[in-house]
Amino acid sequence: MRALSRIHIYLTAVVALALVATACSSSASNAPAAPAGAPTQPAAAAQASVSNPPTSADMVDGIQLQGKNVEVTYWHNRPQQDQDLLQSMLDEFNKSNPYGITAHAEIAGAGYPDVYNKVNAAIQAGQPPEMSVAYQNQAAFYRAQNAVIDLTPFINSSKYGLSQDDLHDYFQAFLDSDKNPQFSGERLGFPTQRSMDVMYYNTDWLTQLGYNGPPTDWKSWEDAACKASDGQNKYGWAVQHDASTFAALVFGHGGQVLADDGQSYVFNSPAGVDSLAMMQRMFKNKCAVEVPTSEKNGEQNRFGAGNALFVFGSSSGMPFYQQAVTSGGNFQWSINMPPTNGQPAINLYGASVSVYKTTPEKELASWLVLKYLGEKAQTTKWAVNTGYLPVRQSAKQDVIDAYKADPKWGPVADSYAKMVDWAQYSKVESPVAGYDPVRDLIDKQVMTRVMTDSEADPKQILDDVVNQANQILQENAPKK
Amino acid sequence: MKVSPFSPGRTAIYGVLIVGALLSLLPFVYMLLTAFKSYGDVVNNNQWPWPPFGAEVPQFGNFPAAMQQIGFDRQLGTPLFVRYFLNSVVVTTAIVIGTLITSVLAAYALARLNLPGKSLLFIAVLAVIMVPEDATLVPKVVMMYNLHWYNTYWALIVPFTVNVVAIFLLRQFFMQIPKELFEAAEMDGMGHLRYLWSIVVPLSRPAVLTVALLNFIWSWDSFKWPLLVTRDTNLRVLGVGLQQFKSGEGATNTQELMVFATLVVLPVLVLYFLLQRQFREAVTTVGIKG
Repeated sequence: MRALSRIHIYLTAVVALALVATACSSSASNAPAAPAGAPTQPAAAAQASVSNPPTSADMVDGIQLQGKNVEVTYWHNRPQQDQDLLQSMLDEFNKSNPYGITAHAEIAGAGYPDVYNKVNAAIQAGQPPEMSVAYQNQAAFYRAQNAVIDLTPFINSSKYGLSQDDLHDYFQAFLDSDKNPQFSGERLGFPTQRSMDVMYYNTDWLTQLGYNGPPTDWKSWEDAACKASDGQNKYGWAVQHDASTFAALVFGHGGQVLADDGQSYVFNSPAGVDSLAMMQRMFKNKCAVEVPTSEKNGEQNRFGAGNALFVFGSSSGMPFYQQAVTSGGNFQWSINMPPTNGQPAINLYGASVSVYKTTPEKELASWLVLKYLGEKAQTTKWAVNTGYLPVRQSAKQDVIDAYKADPKWGPVADSYAKMVDWAQYSKVESPVAGYDPVRDLIDKQVMTRVMTDSEADPKQILDDVVNQANQILQENAPKK
Repeated sequence: MKVSPFSPGRTAIYGVLIVGALLSLLPFVYMLLTAFKSYGDVVNNNQWPWPPFGAEVPQFGNFPAAMQQIGFDRQLGTPLFVRYFLNSVVVTTAIVIGTLITSVLAAYALARLNLPGKSLLFIAVLAVIMVPEDATLVPKVVMMYNLHWYNTYWALIVPFTVNVVAIFLLRQFFMQIPKELFEAAEMDGMGHLRYLWSIVVPLSRPAVLTVALLNFIWSWDSFKWPLLVTRDTNLRVLGVGLQQFKSGEGATNTQELMVFATLVVLPVLVLYFLLQRQFREAVTTVGIKG
């Protein structure tokens, strides 16, 4: 009986432990989170006059790295082949930098949302990486938690920063895209790559329709799309509906998604209404076809098969478009800027790299890694191997030459050369915290709505969504 | 009265079931067919590009291409697929074994022992099922950092070695075993543990195997958690490898993605076919009498 009792107690204990473990593993939401953005190591190693993060170029100049053997990690979302390329570049940096910095690249996910989730969890744990890829709005969200730092003092540092020649060599639009209006123009990221939303078009088909070049204004573009459509298999425009496509239309119509000061959404402007009305009209007249969100890259496949005259997509997809066309319809194609109403504009893609608040030494080491990756040799190499744009003007010709010399790129090389010149017209969708839920609103309540409801009032739809978006903006605005 | 196998009611039921079965098979058929298509056939949306409807040959080259795409493991000297596969096997096996141990013990306690507050404990177990996984994700990741388990096998395995659904399923099954059996076993000198091991578990084989199978599938498919709590490629599992085919802004080589998906799904299918009788029995039993 005593033995039975002991076993009874033993089993009770096991069950209790199992239940406690279950509760811990599954409902730990009450666990207190570590302070966001807390340094992983005490900043005592830095000189006393250097705050964390450094707030002036002088402070950055005062950081000493020699003998510290600082290690930094860079989280990104590129596939394994790009990871190998990136790490090979970092290996070079590790060997050549005079400060003993060691940098590692790590795949933190297959897409930007994966990296975003991982970074947020790491911030909550007080252990962010030293660097990660981040779109401007994501960087703003991290900054609101005091987790990423302003890179301006590092860029301006006389000892570690960029020279005036370097600064002029960078595409200004790329550099400016990281100045965040919600945080007084702080640079919450640094560009090591960029791409843009371009218009892919089927040259052969356009010629058959009687055009000797891509339409450059929206009216003739819509006419061409409608001429091309048979309403069954072939369409003028295959629409991948997401907020970026809508933003590209708004930019092309002369509008903006967000006000310059970052204080309100303004895509219910006449440019937004015209964009939406055009889209609604094209669906009503069967000039456009929706690509379901479940059909990843469906617009590319339809274009490659010769079933869509126009599609909008990231310029980084050009090698894949080339592959799709060669394997599919095998026709002549090219890219152009989206049509405009007079003022050229293009939606800038490609996330930057943000640096997290750790220690001044690690922050400086991270900056030096970014500076290295932005140098002409590295940005050229990255652009040639990935399809992204280089971030320096001096790299432009080398990249174009490399594309032209490699037969696998084919006519992509000429298209690529055109694109580099469009960088000056680039615009950023919305670099503010809380843009992700707004993107969902635009997709589901704006684009999806006009695709399926030909009677809906575009102005009313946009007014409603802008109201909701502004509420989200207020909720996510930095606390004064 | 004997019901004719071809009665209108039965025919309608079979018809619905056959349609349902075919619909559930469609994704697998699409996956398999696409794995052997050329990129051109994917782009042109050719459903069957091979004879007699087309002139293409099956693209077996997609398999080495997918292996190349996923990258190379310099340490093992093999494609990274092998590393991902081995990690998935290790992690899944450990989780299945761990879950079986904890859930059998907890379920037995909840079904048979006279514990104070047992009903309350059971309600607590059920309550945990109601908590959405996403709500606990970040706190769990923070715990892994705080325990210094980030980027270790511990983080991949330990949080999943206790599973409330498994406890619930087994408890329902154990409840159906007559109490008299325990009384007889007790008279033969058996204690709880021996009774559990020698009588309850063998009698509950379908439920235990179902728990093992379900946990195998959940663990084998996992993506988000392994990505959040690891940083080294050496610790990544198949689900993470699979997602890499979808990365980037450019495009997806769908046929290579489907090759990889086929290789990921294959072990689950094999295991299911081996255990389907027990699986069906357990689900039916618990579903009807539980």
